[in-house]
Amino acid sequence: MLSFNKVNVWIAGVHVLRNVTFDLRAGATVALIGRNGAGKTTIARTTMGFTDTTGEVRLAGADLGKVAPHQRPGLGIGYAPEDRRLFSAFTVEENILLPARVGKLDVAETKRRLDRAYTVLPELATLKARPAGSLSGGQGKMAALGRALMLGTKLVILDEPFQGLAPVLAQRYAEALRRLRAQDADITLLITESNPKLLETFADTTITIERGEIEVASQAA
Amino acid sequence: MCGGRHGSPVPDLTSKLRVLMNSTLFVLASLDGLSYAALVFLVSVGLSLIFGVLRVVNVAHGSLYAFGAYLAATLSLLVTPISPWLTYPALLVASLVIGIVAGGLIERLLLSRVYGREEVLQLLITFAVFMIMDNLQRMIWGVQPIYAAEPLKLLPNVSIFGVSYTSYQVIVLPVVAVLALFGLRYFLRRTLMGSVILAVTEDREAATAIGINAQRVYLITFIIGATLAALGGALASPTTSLVPGMGTEMIVLSFAVAATAGLGQIEGTAITALAIGMARAFVIYLQPEFEVLVPYLIMVAVLLVRPEGLFGATKLRKI
Repeated sequence: MLSFNKVNVWIAGVHVLRNVTFDLRAGATVALIGRNGAGKTTIARTTMGFTDTTGEVRLAGADLGKVAPHQRPGLGIGYAPEDRRLFSAFTVEENILLPARVGKLDVAETKRRLDRAYTVLPELATLKARPAGSLSGGQGKMAALGRALMLGTKLVILDEPFQGLAPVLAQRYAEALRRLRAQDADITLLITESNPKLLETFADTTITIERGEIEVASQAA
Repeated sequence: MCGGRHGSPVPDLTSKLRVLMNSTLFVLASLDGLSYAALVFLVSVGLSLIFGVLRVVNVAHGSLYAFGAYLAATLSLLVTPISPWLTYPALLVASLVIGIVAGGLIERLLLSRVYGREEVLQLLITFAVFMIMDNLQRMIWGVQPIYAAEPLKLLPNVSIFGVSYTSYQVIVLPVVAVLALFGLRYFLRRTLMGSVILAVTEDREAATAIGINAQRVYLITFIIGATLAALGGALASPTTSLVPGMGTEMIVLSFAVAATAGLGQIEGTAITALAIGMARAFVIYLQPEFEVLVPYLIMVAVLLVRPEGLFGATKLRKI
């Protein structure tokens, strides 16, 4: 589904990703594990086209290097950045619906995806009229996941979703991910995390990155 | 009944107000201020919109105002023999042509290459555009004053508190400014393109991650801002003789308004344009030598107390 082949990224003269190579199968639940500054977020941002890259990034065989960053979500990639990055000028539901409006999805498809988001994240339905800027950290992470689900029909990238969440909220977030996995077996989930224990029972594939290099890539049988 | 003569405060105040309301000077200054504020608002809000979204201080904004004025005057003079009423669409056509063609070219050919680079580079580029347009203006239209007042003459004068004033200046200009204000508000808050602009303004990368083409948003925003500047110039053209340097005066004044309001603040720009327009108009009657100084004194006073401007938020970027 998503493959990196000898990908190198420099940011402000620093070699952040070094010959990163991996290949994720469709339907995999992948934990991308590494310490702060190891390159996890850069892998997520590179997939979205936000870095200057050498090497090859492919999604379902298509060379993403030839796809402009704003066209990549249209290929079925949903991305929830590390720090939520909701649009505070809009309500929660406006945030969730904006990708569908931008992508000019028809009414039926928009409703189908919105229903999916609310099924995976039932608490969002009660928050939908709230201004996005008023959400707590945990609520914001849920809303960011909901927005990513509107686009992520093939691949959903969640960057450090558990960071800063209270244990009870982290548990609810993990339950939401399990509901998503149960609902959609074909979707590929790429979740970055610095604590390997948080995802060990959920992920079937683990990639460990250290100082920009892939150290271990393991896949459950 | 006639207590005012014996020092009763209420009738005294009433008589003072009566004198004030009957004062030709007061009414004239107010109407001058209103019509001027309408023009200043149109130019300033374009400047503010461009800064709010693109984070670029467009020094060439005054040149777009001047080009709008000159092209509007040229078109007006061309169509007047056919029908003087055609001068009104001519003003609009001139604004759109300058906004779309000049604005589009400036954004695509120059600004799009320096987004995210040092601010001084953006300033230098827009300053170079200002210099080029200033010289182009002299090459195309020469240095002799041009006067094309047909749109002004077509409409009758109105009498307001005994003062006769052109309805073009006290009705048409303020109505266009109010329509621009509410139109812009509606566009930004009720349309998909407006939502997209707000999203890019707040977080370009997050907006791109949901499929928004930020480059296209920048182009459209710049064209809207440029069209507003050109519209200000086009609407000003019947009220004044067009001379080289008119754009310079307007960019400095509109920057003072936009900075005083807080860059990126649309409603705040309207209120500030009215306040500065009025202050300038009254000073012209009371102490004309301070005409140029007053807007900048207000700006400096406000920025010393509130560096983010009267209506600006310290961190949040708003448009």
